[in-house]
Amino acid sequence: MARTSLRSAEDRPSVEELEDLAFELRSKLLHLCGTYEGAVHIGGDLSAADIFTALFHYGLEVDPSDIANPERDRFVLSKGHAAVCMYITMAIRGFFSYDGIVETYGKLDSAYGMHPCKVQLPGVEASTGSLGHGLPLAVGMALGARHRGEDHRVVCLLGDGETGEGSVWEAAMAARSNELGNLVAFIDRNRQLMTSFAEERVVFEPYADKWRAFGWNVIETDGHDMAKLVAAIDALPATDSDRPTVVIAETVKGKGVDFMEHNLAWHAGSLGAADLERAMASLEANRKKETV
Amino acid sequence: MPVTFTFGEMLSARSVIGTTLAELGAEHENLWVLTPDIGATLVEFRDTYPDRFLDVGLAEQVCVGIAAGLAYDGNIPVVSGMLPFLSMRALEQVRTDVCYPNLPVKIIGTHGGLVGNGGSTHYAVEDLAIMCSLTNMTVTSIGDPLMVGEILRQSMSMRGPIYIRLAVGKKDMVLYEPGEHEVRIGKGIVAREGTDATIFTHGTVVAQALQAADELAKDGRSVRVVDMFTLKPIDEDLIAQCAEETDGRFVVLEDHLAYGGLASRIADVLADRGIHLTAFERLGIPQVYAGFGEDEELRDKHGYGLDATIAATRRVIAAQS
Ligand SMILES: Cc1ncc(C[n+]2csc(CCOP(=O)(O)OP(=O)(O)O)c2C)c(N)n1
Ligand SMILES: [Mg+2]
Repeated sequence: MARTSLRSAEDRPSVEELEDLAFELRSKLLHLCGTYEGAVHIGGDLSAADIFTALFHYGLEVDPSDIANPERDRFVLSKGHAAVCMYITMAIRGFFSYDGIVETYGKLDSAYGMHPCKVQLPGVEASTGSLGHGLPLAVGMALGARHRGEDHRVVCLLGDGETGEGSVWEAAMAARSNELGNLVAFIDRNRQLMTSFAEERVVFEPYADKWRAFGWNVIETDGHDMAKLVAAIDALPATDSDRPTVVIAETVKGKGVDFMEHNLAWHAGSLGAADLERAMASLEANRKKETV
Repeated sequence: MPVTFTFGEMLSARSVIGTTLAELGAEHENLWVLTPDIGATLVEFRDTYPDRFLDVGLAEQVCVGIAAGLAYDGNIPVVSGMLPFLSMRALEQVRTDVCYPNLPVKIIGTHGGLVGNGGSTHYAVEDLAIMCSLTNMTVTSIGDPLMVGEILRQSMSMRGPIYIRLAVGKKDMVLYEPGEHEVRIGKGIVAREGTDATIFTHGTVVAQALQAADELAKDGRSVRVVDMFTLKPIDEDLIAQCAEETDGRFVVLEDHLAYGGLASRIADVLADRGIHLTAFERLGIPQVYAGFGEDEELRDKHGYGLDATIAATRRVIAAQS
């Protein structure tokens, strides 16, 4: 079955353009983290920034001017604490006003806050934040799409720590049992939880084999290499195939800012003006390194 | 040497938990501390007693289930985490694995009420209603940060489970001088004497009730404030006493659903004992999924902030008998 396309192939940015968009996203995330008084989950925002960019600008069939289009791909942010990364990605894509996010984030009656709310913010597909809820919801959406004979995809982004929740594996089993080839899970495999590193307290390995054992089609990739993320998206099976796919994207928590990378202290936090400058300098320097 | 704090100073309940657990760990070799990846305040215990510390990662159900299993063999497990997830994700483990066999598992956590600005997934607003419904469970909600340590200590000799609810626990107002009041699980604290009306309250909004009483005192109103930090078993005699001594005029203020929490517990006692009041008002969270905002803003928005507390107390005092 051919997937419905909400835009032409030429509208899709190139890998270089995607890299620029990811840089813009990271800069804006740091800006918010430096100006907002409360804590921002910056570590898991930065680790997911390339995945978000690849999905919203390249992979997902979504249309900012038609958010209720029944043929749109559904995106469920299961690691809801990365809400602001989703808001800003969607703002860059044209869904929301970036200024609106910066001006009201976390304030009374704002649609934008620590965890995404579908009721307050149309365009968001699910209200999440309590970890372990997204994949079951996505299974339900994928099952519904199948039943209605629709060919869109349902894409769910999870944290690796989040996959400690039993509900994730119950959903994994249900997805396989119901042959949901229209379901894709992305794992932000940054190998950190909130207060520990992966394997330190909780053993995740052999991680890809766990998903294979549950009958999923597994794609392992580098979650910070835009060309590879695009290739992973291109390699997704047809939506009428019979196996759900998991893309395990190897990432670094705090990616792009030296003092945040691999640092448990930056699961969530706020940057003062001085640290914002330091963070931006590090982001710029790391970008130069990569483009050389 | 014990540190003393005076009313109004700020202290972190989380740091009190951390210190108290480390002390209790030395006194009780069977004390365990478990957490589902919410371990930042438990570092002292973790580093001192690594073989009695367990961080299971993102797995609340398993965390409570393991605690129950440990308790079967004489251990005393403390599960520390975030209350929306401990009270709801792990509810069946709490009810069937902990409460049914009446095991001495202590569940302590943060994010009780519209606090922390996390949005509706991160506000525990139904937890007291849920926990109070469980057979064998003792249910507490603590506002004064130093009291948290005292309650943990007292709970060590309890046979069955206890639920200890806190707000965010990073910066809490010290309400009482150490030793100022007798703190005993099951007994309410008369935090302020008064005769015109009683405000019953618990947890983080005790400070707000005291503030309301102060404001009303300026108009010559004498308002009693009762910190009913134990919701179950509830101090029935104190409720009856307040009905008599404050002319049957009650306000109940809580950072929890207005129906199902302390107000409902008190109303049950009144109905069961046939106590007739002159006036009764409940201030708490209406049945909405509250959005974002700072704690005080959300209380104002949802009708149980300081001004609403003062106004309700005035109405209750003015009611015709
Ligand atoms: C059910 C539940 N338990 C606990 C939390 C608190 N919490 C938020 S993020 C987090 C760590 C998540 O780790 P991971 O899934 O790996 O996300 P990432 O590393 O991408 O931030 C925790 C414990 C929560 N939001 N939901
Ligand atoms: Mg992680």
